[in-house]
Amino acid sequence: MSSAGTSNKPAPGHVSASGQLQQRRGLGDLIAKKPELVTLGLLIAICIAVAIANPAFLQPSTLIDIGRASVVTGLFALGVFVILAAGGIDVSFTAIAALTMYSITLLAINHAPNMPIYVVFLIAVAGGIALGVLNGFLVYTLRVPSLIVTIGTQYLFRGGLLAFVGTTWIMELPGQMGTFGRISLLEFETANGATVSLPVYFLILPAAAILTWWIMRRTLMGRAIFSLGGSPDVTARLGYNVKIVHLFVFGYAGALAGLAGIVHVTANRLANPFDLVGTEIAVIAAVVLGGARITGGTGSVIGTMLGVLLVVVVDNVLVMVGIPSTWQRVFVGAFILLAAAFFVTRQRKFKPAK
Amino acid sequence: MTQNTQKNRCFLELRNIHKRFGGVHALRGVDLSLEAGEVYHLLGENGCGKSTVIKIMAGAHPPSEGQIVLDGEVFNELTPIQSLDFGIETVYQDLSLIPNLSVMENVALGEQLVEGHGRLLRRIDRARMRQTATKALSQVGLDVTPELMSTIVSELPLATRQLVAIARAIACEARLVIMDEPTTSLTRREVENLIDVVSRLRSQNVAVLFVTHKLEECYRIGGHAIVFRDGQCVAQGPIESYSRADLAELMTGRQISEKRYREGSPSEDTLMSLSNFSMPGRFNDVGFDLRKGEVLGITGLSDSGRNELALAIAGIRPAASGTISINDKNIRIATASDSIDAGIAYVPEDRLSEGLFLSKSIYQNEVALILRKLAGFMGILDMKKGKEIAREISADMRLNTADIELPVSSLSGGNQQRVLIGRWLSINPEILVLHGPTVGVDVGSKDAIYQTIQKMAEDGMGLIIVSDDLPELLQNCDRILVMNAGEVVSDLNGASASEDDIYQAMLGSVQEGAA
Repeated sequence: MSSAGTSNKPAPGHVSASGQLQQRRGLGDLIAKKPELVTLGLLIAICIAVAIANPAFLQPSTLIDIGRASVVTGLFALGVFVILAAGGIDVSFTAIAALTMYSITLLAINHAPNMPIYVVFLIAVAGGIALGVLNGFLVYTLRVPSLIVTIGTQYLFRGGLLAFVGTTWIMELPGQMGTFGRISLLEFETANGATVSLPVYFLILPAAAILTWWIMRRTLMGRAIFSLGGSPDVTARLGYNVKIVHLFVFGYAGALAGLAGIVHVTANRLANPFDLVGTEIAVIAAVVLGGARITGGTGSVIGTMLGVLLVVVVDNVLVMVGIPSTWQRVFVGAFILLAAAFFVTRQRKFKPAK
Repeated sequence: MTQNTQKNRCFLELRNIHKRFGGVHALRGVDLSLEAGEVYHLLGENGCGKSTVIKIMAGAHPPSEGQIVLDGEVFNELTPIQSLDFGIETVYQDLSLIPNLSVMENVALGEQLVEGHGRLLRRIDRARMRQTATKALSQVGLDVTPELMSTIVSELPLATRQLVAIARAIACEARLVIMDEPTTSLTRREVENLIDVVSRLRSQNVAVLFVTHKLEECYRIGGHAIVFRDGQCVAQGPIESYSRADLAELMTGRQISEKRYREGSPSEDTLMSLSNFSMPGRFNDVGFDLRKGEVLGITGLSDSGRNELALAIAGIRPAASGTISINDKNIRIATASDSIDAGIAYVPEDRLSEGLFLSKSIYQNEVALILRKLAGFMGILDMKKGKEIAREISADMRLNTADIELPVSSLSGGNQQRVLIGRWLSINPEILVLHGPTVGVDVGSKDAIYQTIQKMAEDGMGLIIVSDDLPELLQNCDRILVMNAGEVVSDLNGASASEDDIYQAMLGSVQEGAA
């Protein structure tokens, strides 16, 4: 018998599975299993290049700047990661954030100026969940691709905000919302004598990342989310409640968007209803740079966080080496194409037989 | 065969189950009862409703009519989680593994899902998952290494995936294990192992429902035969009381009506000639001639390379090497349109996803290939002429409706297939490759399709039928090529060959390791 067509009939015995597996080793295999290593490599390369060009980069204050700038994008990105893993996509999360943050700020000013900050966050999360669950409900019941549904709801949420809630900037934040952004965790003095501080709200990001990691890796819901992204029909056939999974992923992303909205307001000490919407592509780019496939079923929290860092570093640091800010997009675009080309060749190699 | 008579009681009962998919009546009043600790073999031709009945038991499809009784409790339909809750585990024909999860998760997550009755907000007990998976995987004979456990399923070879799917079914405390063709890609030794697994399950008072085309496996395992034909259960009883011939007759119902459609004979002129056709890992060094007016059958197991060969001829997945000539002229087939230009028409196996525009009308489907011919001034289509042609095609193909504006989705499987074949005939191909032309088609439509095939051959067309429906090949073909492990292993005369001859050639090396 010739070699053709015999690949499905391994020699008798037990070795068939592991024998084939052992053939694939080395760097390519490692990167295939841990795509975030590419992101990490890229990030380190940029940092080294920038540090050589401008040693001022190597200061605690740079780190703090990057940390502070990562929070909102990072929270959004965690939500997008969860939805991508389930095989969907969401472009409405920025509109959810804008709607909740502005409405709650107004609510606090008009009705409860002394509302404690944790209540503000609770209301924001609840509002985000409600709007997100609406997304999930529509995606599940209409059986329409989530991209279409969330384009629709993005317009709806944003239009609703501007038409019915308000269009003016709120510069005077009520009570604790105003002060929360200023509470600092760490403070540093820079070379020129100014103090740079890492605000307390930064902690929300690692907390959310750990929670997301735990849900995705350690609960049945997390496995159901990946299953849904891998094969929706089979997931339903195996007894997973696909509707609940839909509601959960979009609700969870909504909750994170609600949180991100409030962080954005308190950090900027300004509630601008025109903010945030328009940044969703950058967030999705960050998640994809972190190794999640747009077709679903893959990705990791670590990768997502590295992707966010990459985008934030490019956004904030290239200026330090004299690259004009208009070039940032060129870089992010090039990285995305690079990563995409890389991951696509990997996919071809591991294409399932059916 | 041993019968645990003291413990026997009905675990699952189906009462007058009907299932309709659009215009197709897939199950027509099925009554069945399965008892604990018994082995059942569900037998029948393709499209007889076996898979549908399995999906109803597993909760993947609701029945259109009828009742399901589990442990005395009556249901009108089941959800997957209810079915799993009652201990019904299924090895699906497509395996139904989650491609992006690990082997361990695929095998053992279900246990924890079912325990929580489908509740998802639960922590996974990883230690238990590991334990369950290890046990189940070693029972099916896999060498359990940490590496295997953490491997993503889509990276596994097909045979290992099949074993993983079986391991999943026996990982939990099942009460009924359904196996839909579980041995198609297994080696002999792995099959032996599976037979051990079945007898172990039976001794634990678990019912096993086996679906397979390999009758010798059924006789080896023993138990009850349940024979389906055209959506009905036509016989039930101990398998050893039926001979192979009895079963074949029950399954086909064609002992009497098994007429041969093929009457004409091919001309001497070679129409198409294939040589050294190869695609590494799929088929190797395939060569044959097709004469004008010849009907050539190609068959083999699903992994024999026959499907890939058909796709290569059609240019959909071109061959890596080899030559193909039509009317003594060498041609190159790298894309589907090369093949169409060369006069080769290909009717795909899965007409729903690969061939038809389901929501469009019969008319639009039938003229899809000749739009360029219909285009006149500035590319505007001559609808009137198109409809005339569509009416002609519909009449030729004897569609059971004259209304060419109806959407194709409203037609039965047989009529849909005729629309598809009719579309190809509109470009007057010299060669027609039919892939599984009557899969899921009822008996009446089969007859019409076969008559069309014969008429086309008489008109001088060369036809290739790629199929695993052996009676179909024997009834229609001049010659039948049998593929095994990527090679053509025999070339049988359609008039004198028997189903047994074909089976021998198909299974030859799988059975004994040496062809």
